[in-house]
Amino acid sequence: MSIKGLGKSILVTLPALFLFACSGSDTGTGPETTDSTETQTTTTPVDTKTPEELAAEANAKVREVRTVYFEFDDSTVKSEYQDLLKAHAWFLSRNPGVQIVVEGHCDERGTPEYNLALGERRGNSVRDILMSYGVTSSQIRVVSYGEENPANPAHNEMAWEKNRRAVLNYEG
Amino acid sequence: MMRQLAILFSVLVLSAARADINIDIIIEDGMSFARPVAVVPFNYSGVSGKPPHDMSAIIAADLRRSGRFNPMPFNEMPELPTSYEQVSIEQWKAKGIEAVVVGSVEEVTPGQFSVKYQLIDVFKPQQRVEGGELVSNSDFLLLNNTGSAGTQNFRFYSHQVADNIYEALTGVKGAFATRVAYVTVDRSKSRPFQLYIADSDGHNAESLYTSEEAIMSPTWSPDGKAIAYVSFENGRSEIYLQQIYTGQRTMIAAFPGINSAPVFSPDGRKLALTLSKDGNAEIYILDLTTRQYRRLTNTGPNVIDTEPEFSPDGQWILFTSDRGLRPQIYRVSVRGGRPERVTFEGEYNASAAYTPDGKSIILVNRTNGVYHIAKQDIETGTMQILTDTLLDESPSLAPNGTMVIYATIHNGRQVLAQVSTDGRFKVRLPAKQGEVKAPAWSPFLIQ
Repeated sequence: MSIKGLGKSILVTLPALFLFACSGSDTGTGPETTDSTETQTTTTPVDTKTPEELAAEANAKVREVRTVYFEFDDSTVKSEYQDLLKAHAWFLSRNPGVQIVVEGHCDERGTPEYNLALGERRGNSVRDILMSYGVTSSQIRVVSYGEENPANPAHNEMAWEKNRRAVLNYEG
Repeated sequence: MMRQLAILFSVLVLSAARADINIDIIIEDGMSFARPVAVVPFNYSGVSGKPPHDMSAIIAADLRRSGRFNPMPFNEMPELPTSYEQVSIEQWKAKGIEAVVVGSVEEVTPGQFSVKYQLIDVFKPQQRVEGGELVSNSDFLLLNNTGSAGTQNFRFYSHQVADNIYEALTGVKGAFATRVAYVTVDRSKSRPFQLYIADSDGHNAESLYTSEEAIMSPTWSPDGKAIAYVSFENGRSEIYLQQIYTGQRTMIAAFPGINSAPVFSPDGRKLALTLSKDGNAEIYILDLTTRQYRRLTNTGPNVIDTEPEFSPDGQWILFTSDRGLRPQIYRVSVRGGRPERVTFEGEYNASAAYTPDGKSIILVNRTNGVYHIAKQDIETGTMQILTDTLLDESPSLAPNGTMVIYATIHNGRQVLAQVSTDGRFKVRLPAKQGEVKAPAWSPFLIQ
């Protein structure tokens, strides 16, 4: 939960950072610039990283979240994951050499073979969204584990909720 | 009630004593429908102190496990005959016994045994009137057989004797001389997944394959010599074929996407399977001689077609498809064409297979969120729920169509269970350690 929250707050600040980087203006904290006469005239932020580096850092933080959860019997990606997948797509489209494997999983209810196919459908849903944000298909491989690799092997609702998922695995 | 408890206890104790089995057998329900019979301990003579196994005990356990018979405990027997001439039928009749099995085992040379056994129907007369005279009548002798077995196949032979007795008493071919494949999962181990085969009574369990990654969907070749299954050893689903006696293992299918749900045609020449290499899960037929693939189903990108099963005559394929939004059972000619829908009841129907007589299908049905094993009559379309366990999956029929073995959850663990195809008789089969799933009943075996 906390990681998700962190992701959300980073997401909120990410556009703000872009804004900041593009305008090239002060840190909003006050008139520090008047004191730094030895430095160049263009004011620099307290952090010495470039805007691109900051964006990449912020993006990496968001991408620490690798899992998308699904409703029972469903393979549609809920809207709450759009920003997350957008962030992964942002990275992948800028790094065409990077490959990911999208794993598809199910909870144990229903037959194992149907669940193997349902897991693949979940992986495909995530893949399709990444591609809609500009990722090339050759970067993405979908592998389904059906109900065979649960995150939580217990046989109850709490465990099942954690098992209905797609996981993005960066290769190499 | 006490007798049922005694039987239950003796079954439990019997299974705990063996080191070669890793599954317990616990009879849940149905003994009240069972016919009372007696399997009298066989006589033994030979150089070894005792025979390799207690043949009469194996036979009695088989008959009990079929749900159709209730063998009398040894200590209640009025006499201990070892051949039919010694049997006093009235004594058994008085105890309510319908049929008596007697026999003897003789070690003719070390490790080689001659077996004689007879099955007596206590209701048939031993004499009849002919030409005004009483002559002897052998109608009561349903079986009078001799055979031989070695130490190695002594258990298997005992199951064959049980099969003969079962068939003589029911008219249905017995399925005790069969094996069951299954997958065990023990997450405390570094290699948690194992593919096992064991005798139908749980004995002689042997591990065919052990893996760090998941194993799914074992299925028997019709000659009983090989098992095809899905393995994730290379990080994704792939189909392998393993010869049971030679251990030889070959990769059958490893296309991009899913490779799963293998099943042999009745003549053993083809394999139906699920591949998603062309975009979504579809059913293909693989000719094992030519190694050519033929695509059987053709639905849109978001439809799942899977779980193929051949009809007993090999002409049709049952399969699961969610082309109509939810998974239902469809049937298509093995030559291809437009599939027709077979199931209409419940929210979800999957994993279907024909009974050997082709008159019903056994499947997994979900109604009101509960997954049960069910049987649908082909002619009437009526569906009967067979189980009262929850979260049932992976049903597999005995080759004589009398029993279904499947996986389910009990007390927070995944276990195997059996239910008779009329729904009356129920058995639970938990593993001694870890969890069990994916059972597959062998065809009739010849040894």
